[in-house]
Amino acid sequence: MSKIEDALKKISGNGAARGPGPAETARRQQLARAPQSIAQTAQSNQASTDMTQRASSRAEIARMEEVTPIGDKAMAHNKIIHPEMEDGRVLNAFRELRTKIIQKSLNGNGVIMVTGVTLGDGASFVARNLAAAFALDTSKTALLLDCNLKNPQYDGINSAGARLGLTDYLESEDIPVDKIIHRPGIDRFRMIPSGVQCEVPAEYFTSVKMGKLLVQLKERYPERYVILDTPPITESADTSIVADLCDHILLVVPYGKVTETQVEAAVKAIGQRKLVGVVFNNEPQLPKPSVWKSIWKLTPP
Amino acid sequence: MQLSYPQMIDALLKEAFVHRKAVVGIFLAINAIALIAGLAWPKQYTSSATIIVDEKNIIEPLMKGAAVVTEVADRAKLAKEVIYSRKLMGQVLTSPGWEKAGRTPKEEDAIINKAIIPNTKIISIDKNLIKIEYSNANPDRAYNTTKKISDLFISESLAAKAKESQDAYDFISTQTDEYHEKLVNAEALLKDFRSANLDAQPGSEGAVGTRINSLEEKIQQTTNDLNEAETKQESLTKQLSGEAEVTVAFTREGQYRTRIAELQQQLDTLRLSYQDTYPDIVRIKHQIEDLNEAINKDRTERQAGRGQARVLSEEALAINPLFQELRRELSQTKTQIDTLKARLVDARRLLHSETARGRRVHDSEAALAELTRDYQVNRDLYQDLLKRRENARVSMNMDIANQGLTFKIHEPATLPSDPSGPRFIHFILGGIVLGVLIPLGLLHAKQQFDPRLRFDSVIADKLKLQVLAIVPHLVTPSEEREVVASLRGLALLIGANFGILALVVGLKAGGVLS
Repeated sequence: MSKIEDALKKISGNGAARGPGPAETARRQQLARAPQSIAQTAQSNQASTDMTQRASSRAEIARMEEVTPIGDKAMAHNKIIHPEMEDGRVLNAFRELRTKIIQKSLNGNGVIMVTGVTLGDGASFVARNLAAAFALDTSKTALLLDCNLKNPQYDGINSAGARLGLTDYLESEDIPVDKIIHRPGIDRFRMIPSGVQCEVPAEYFTSVKMGKLLVQLKERYPERYVILDTPPITESADTSIVADLCDHILLVVPYGKVTETQVEAAVKAIGQRKLVGVVFNNEPQLPKPSVWKSIWKLTPP
Repeated sequence: MQLSYPQMIDALLKEAFVHRKAVVGIFLAINAIALIAGLAWPKQYTSSATIIVDEKNIIEPLMKGAAVVTEVADRAKLAKEVIYSRKLMGQVLTSPGWEKAGRTPKEEDAIINKAIIPNTKIISIDKNLIKIEYSNANPDRAYNTTKKISDLFISESLAAKAKESQDAYDFISTQTDEYHEKLVNAEALLKDFRSANLDAQPGSEGAVGTRINSLEEKIQQTTNDLNEAETKQESLTKQLSGEAEVTVAFTREGQYRTRIAELQQQLDTLRLSYQDTYPDIVRIKHQIEDLNEAINKDRTERQAGRGQARVLSEEALAINPLFQELRRELSQTKTQIDTLKARLVDARRLLHSETARGRRVHDSEAALAELTRDYQVNRDLYQDLLKRRENARVSMNMDIANQGLTFKIHEPATLPSDPSGPRFIHFILGGIVLGVLIPLGLLHAKQQFDPRLRFDSVIADKLKLQVLAIVPHLVTPSEEREVVASLRGLALLIGANFGILALVVGLKAGGVLS
């Protein structure tokens, strides 16, 4: 069972993806309008350009249609960070990561590829939560693109039937982009699964359509971050191809699983140009104090 | 990679938490092993005796320089050599606890090498203290053996020391006797030589030289004197030949005239002051008249005697005094010349004999020097040895009287009441400590030797990559439930472990378990 799948299932259980209700839409429009007017009056003011841009992007992003949000429990279950988390250490780590990436990508939008050194190193976990961290900021939106064609992370056949994804779009001429972008129930968070079709992956990524898709996705909103969840660079040829299409690359190094030589090989495969940095993942932690306390309680936690 | 201690401990704890089941498992296993080992550990009783090696005693300063106190360089080593000797060990085997009739030497060796020597410890506590320890499962045997070993050690050491002094004395004594004999021989040789060569006295050569010198001087002097006397004789002889033997004396008339002249002078002097009637002038005139009368009488007598052989009257003749004097002098000089000649001959004879003697002395001097040298060397050595022999005698007597380096039992062996070695509680505590340290040590070793990356600092420092974030492990609620459950289980196990340990310790303390 994939992680997001549960969330999707939940949403589909409520019926088709719904747009915001009439009251909700009105509120959002009001929110959107106010910054717009501020932007108009302060147009001549050079110093407030960034602020204006930020406000406009926020307004635009606020108009995004959202589904019923999934609960904190579901997010915790799926290992997705959320602001109300009890243990803030992971949340803070991703916020810090997000800030550093924003500092590096100057124009706001960016295609960030997240890859690992070896299988099972948590690259998908990092990609997913990095997207979630971007989505936490109301002025930004994140889109998670699953490029694990051989080993889909967020796709799969569920009871609701096949969900269209990346390969379907690239394969078929008559599937619009909108059809493959799914809303997993987290505000400002979108995702594209890898798709049902899965034949010769390399050919999908080399296609012109793939490049165009990335540009289209990136430029759809002023501050959109497209996060590509890819297989380990040393394990898959797809990753190297995708690396050419993205702006930045993040390398996930898991705790106690890989050697220096493996990391060096991965860095060599990526090249220094696009490599933003390394995320040291899954460092063991001692349990929170509450866990220690709950040991002595008679009731099960 | 250099990590600070807090970093290292933090990493270790995290790793220990990840491998908590293995860590607790090892902890429990070590505790169990320690418990079993503690229960099965054989009881050992140790008895010890301390021996003080006293070398600072009252005798030493008194005898300083006269006697040599036997030195013991490495006390523990010496003690080991003495104690582990077959002789001493053989005696130990006859002590209570070991005695058994009919043992072959091979069996005895086996007991000594397996039961006694490995359990005996000889420790040099400080310069003057030797501690002897013996451990055995039987406290009585431990006590008896320790006591026996310490007693034997002391008696053996003292005997060895006494023997050493005795040997030294004997050796020096032999040497002294040998030199005495040599000295006597040298003396005899010297005596014989001196008897044979009477001139060969110390300083003879010098004496002879002096004597020759004085003789030569004497000869010279005599020769000079002789020459002088001969010259004198010659001169006297010459003078004698030109001198008359007798001289003719003046006549009586002459004597009268001389007297008249004297009186006339007196008369003239008086006439200057007095008249011719002054009685003195009158008397002098009378005297002059008398004298003139005597002259006339004498002239008359001479005229009467003329024409007769001229005989010199005795009164007129007198022997010449100068001639006499010269004759006497000449005679004396002749005697002197004779004496000097005789003396010269004598001196020459003496010189000759002295020269011959000097030659003899010179020859014997070399032989004498050699004999004397031998004698002196032997005498010095003999005297020195004689002194040493007396020192050795005193040293030997000191050792016989146990006054030199002494061995005393400072702390006698006691019957051990408590077993020595690690107690049961030590095993339990050791088990707990090792149970904590060993798994942590293993984890640390794993961190050190496992090449897989565990520290972000390696990525940053060694691989020169920027670490954007360190993402801790995210625990899902279900995982958390599992963690709590596992921690509960482990806590229960540890609690049970301590419960068992406490129970066994309690039973042991209460004497239920032996």
